[in-house]
Amino acid sequence: MQNQDQTDELVAQVNQAIETKTAINITGGGSKAFLGRSQDAQVLNTSAHVGVVNYEPTELVVTVRTGTPMGELNELLRQNGQALPFEPPVLETGTIGGVLACGLSGPARPFAGSARDYVLGMRVINGQGQALRFGGEVMKNVAGYDAARLHVGAFGSLGVLLETSMKVLPLPEAQVTLKHELSKPNDNTALVKMMRQPLPLSAAAIINRSQYIRLSGSDSAVRAAAKTCGGEVVPEGEAFWQSIREINHSFFNDNRPLWRLSVPEFCPAISIDGSTESDWLLDWAGAQRFLKTDADAASIYAAAASVAGHATCYSANRVAGNASLFQPLEGAMMSLQARLRDSFDAHRLFNPGRFHPELDNN
Amino acid sequence: MSLQPAQSDSQPDSTDAGSNGSSQARAIAHKRERYSSALGQLLPIGCILNTPEQLKPYESDGLTVFKKSPLLVVLPETIEQIQAVIKWASSEMVPVVARGAGTGLSGGALPHEDGILLGLAKFNQILELNVEKGFARVQPGVRNLAISDAARSHGLYYAPDPSSQIACTIGGNVAENSGGVHCLKYGLTVHNVLAVTVVTIDGELLQIGSNALDSAGYDLLALLNGSEGMLAVVVEVIVKLLPTPPCAKLVMAAFNSVEDAGNAVGQVIAAGIIPAGLELMDKPAMQAAEAFAQCGYPVDSAALLLCELDGLEEEVSAQIDGVTTVFKSCNVSELRVAESEEERLLLWKGRKSAFPAVGRLAPDYYCIDGTIPRGQLPYVLRRMEQLSAEYQLPIANVFHAGDGNLHPLILFDANVPGETQRTEELGSRILLLCVEVGGTVTGEHGVGVEKINEMCVQFDEASLQQFHAIKVAFDPDSLLNPGKAVPTLQRCAEFGAMHVHRGELPFPELERF
Repeated sequence: MQNQDQTDELVAQVNQAIETKTAINITGGGSKAFLGRSQDAQVLNTSAHVGVVNYEPTELVVTVRTGTPMGELNELLRQNGQALPFEPPVLETGTIGGVLACGLSGPARPFAGSARDYVLGMRVINGQGQALRFGGEVMKNVAGYDAARLHVGAFGSLGVLLETSMKVLPLPEAQVTLKHELSKPNDNTALVKMMRQPLPLSAAAIINRSQYIRLSGSDSAVRAAAKTCGGEVVPEGEAFWQSIREINHSFFNDNRPLWRLSVPEFCPAISIDGSTESDWLLDWAGAQRFLKTDADAASIYAAAASVAGHATCYSANRVAGNASLFQPLEGAMMSLQARLRDSFDAHRLFNPGRFHPELDNN
Repeated sequence: MSLQPAQSDSQPDSTDAGSNGSSQARAIAHKRERYSSALGQLLPIGCILNTPEQLKPYESDGLTVFKKSPLLVVLPETIEQIQAVIKWASSEMVPVVARGAGTGLSGGALPHEDGILLGLAKFNQILELNVEKGFARVQPGVRNLAISDAARSHGLYYAPDPSSQIACTIGGNVAENSGGVHCLKYGLTVHNVLAVTVVTIDGELLQIGSNALDSAGYDLLALLNGSEGMLAVVVEVIVKLLPTPPCAKLVMAAFNSVEDAGNAVGQVIAAGIIPAGLELMDKPAMQAAEAFAQCGYPVDSAALLLCELDGLEEEVSAQIDGVTTVFKSCNVSELRVAESEEERLLLWKGRKSAFPAVGRLAPDYYCIDGTIPRGQLPYVLRRMEQLSAEYQLPIANVFHAGDGNLHPLILFDANVPGETQRTEELGSRILLLCVEVGGTVTGEHGVGVEKINEMCVQFDEASLQQFHAIKVAFDPDSLLNPGKAVPTLQRCAEFGAMHVHRGELPFPELERF
């Protein structure tokens, strides 16, 4: 893996932008243009800021520069029998910085935790051009506000991510994927029940009438749990979960915009104008639902809000107009978040309009 | 670290203003009266405490060396009343310190002498225990253990288990992002809380998080956890309930050197095993625990590991094979797998009573809370031995070995002149040692008022300024728990001038007592 520290160059570029009051588009591998509206701004590229800063497998911590390609990091961890348990998507050219900035987690998320859960520390450049360090390289750390985790899913609007320390865990000894046929499409009641059982579940998804679960752990435990759960063993199980994680399962092959709804796993089927059962894919046991639809953004946001969830558009380039691609924030919550953004980036230089546009127009 | 308030913070004690403070005492009495009557309009009778006897129990939290009397204590009964109190405080610019059970160990709930203490003890109801959906919706004054107790018969539990879990409340757990013995495998409070409802300094009610696994906008839930009551007041919490593991087994392993024990911890993890709990005690701690709990620890060994494994029976038995093999290859001197549930609980009892047990060895003890990269353990223990000799104060060590969280207990006698000050200095040196090896000044107890100086060493000026900016975004007039957790730059300048920088003492050649 390459090793190159570009901190000084990146700080200099940010300072230049501050001086000239020029907005910056932060980009790494360029794999996530489908999330958020891209703005006409100067590009700040982190992809040369790469390499492992510190990795001691028995400490269960890896510290990497954010431009490090996700695929290379996964491979390094795999060689040491470890992984980032939240199963970050690679998206071909994606970087770890991009995964964290967008807060993306794969199928294991409800069982193993999310991207933010595994972040222990972060170095970032704020809107004053200062390289700051939050958190650290240890598992337990309550010194100061948790500004490290705050950057996860902030889409770069709070700063340029430079370096991150994350908790890693051993790879499970064994895994098996089991498939069940459902009598009712998209019915996740059995999955919700399973979530309350002491089973070594590590993924659970439904596509129409097919329910998939994955069990992970010691060989003997996986065998015993597979017996309890029953169903048909899916021989290419890992490839299936990867296709969900990488958003390239055949379900996603469609011309309509793709939306992600994050909702309580136990909420019933969500009705959105014109959508049919085959337009949905339920991941995370039902807590993450993908929908292919031409419905307008407002009706999708309303439907998500009605079940205490939120929606995000996954096809930025296919949704025209000014509609926000993220569930709009309102009232006191919006003002608070806008103040928080300004506390990091007073000039609103970082990725303006990429995340919640209301935070920039406030 | 300071066991006595630093000069810049010292204020006349408001309940006992002393000889030179009679006009000040009158001013305080006047203010107290004025606030009591204003708040009397907002709260039912009996919800305001303002006499010296009533205020006394609220003068400190679990870190009793710090004491301050608030102007008054309010004990509201509804969220609307909390909102009204905070709106009033905001308009009158009165500091508000929220308090749960007051078990915190860093002075996070230490009252403000010019403000009110907002006691949340009456908010002690579990509002909803949803077995099918796997969550509990609780008020902030519900005790940590009460949640698991309520869920147990349904085969569920709430994972974080700080050692004060019998008494500490969930609101305080959120404020401190509490950990516990099982957090290597099951995470901290931040990993187990789905949502909090807070009252902001404007008196607005906001729900942060939900039963979904993430929310729109910034991850305020992560930010609120561990914010020590400085950003908002938590008035309701939704926690995740997990299925109780059907099987839990405990392995006890004794070693002839702490290095061997530390190495064994690393080897367990290298073998791909994540125990539910992995605790290390050194000889003084183990001996004290044994004398206290008679749990059968091999007191002649230098270090003891307690390694708990949980999950499906098949998983646990595979892991027991794994760890016993590892321990045997690491010079283990005694190895025991608890045969029965009684034996497992007895072996835990010693560890769980280690603090009071050590407390019997000396008139006073002081618990430190730093985290280090685990590999640095032998070096840190060696340096602590040297420091212990230098300061002539014994140290017993209990250690959440799995995640590197150290709890050295310094034994001292506050009645011996100078010993409190030496203890304080030694504590500070230990925390700076943690920072020096790449760790942190607090793993789970929080900064509060206790470790505020050491924050100046762990964070640079720009990062501290960013923390202050975050605070301002939530609380522009700094009324919520002001002065805690994040030092002012002025304070750091004073501390830097008199003390240390990056673990380097000025004049290292001088003996320091």
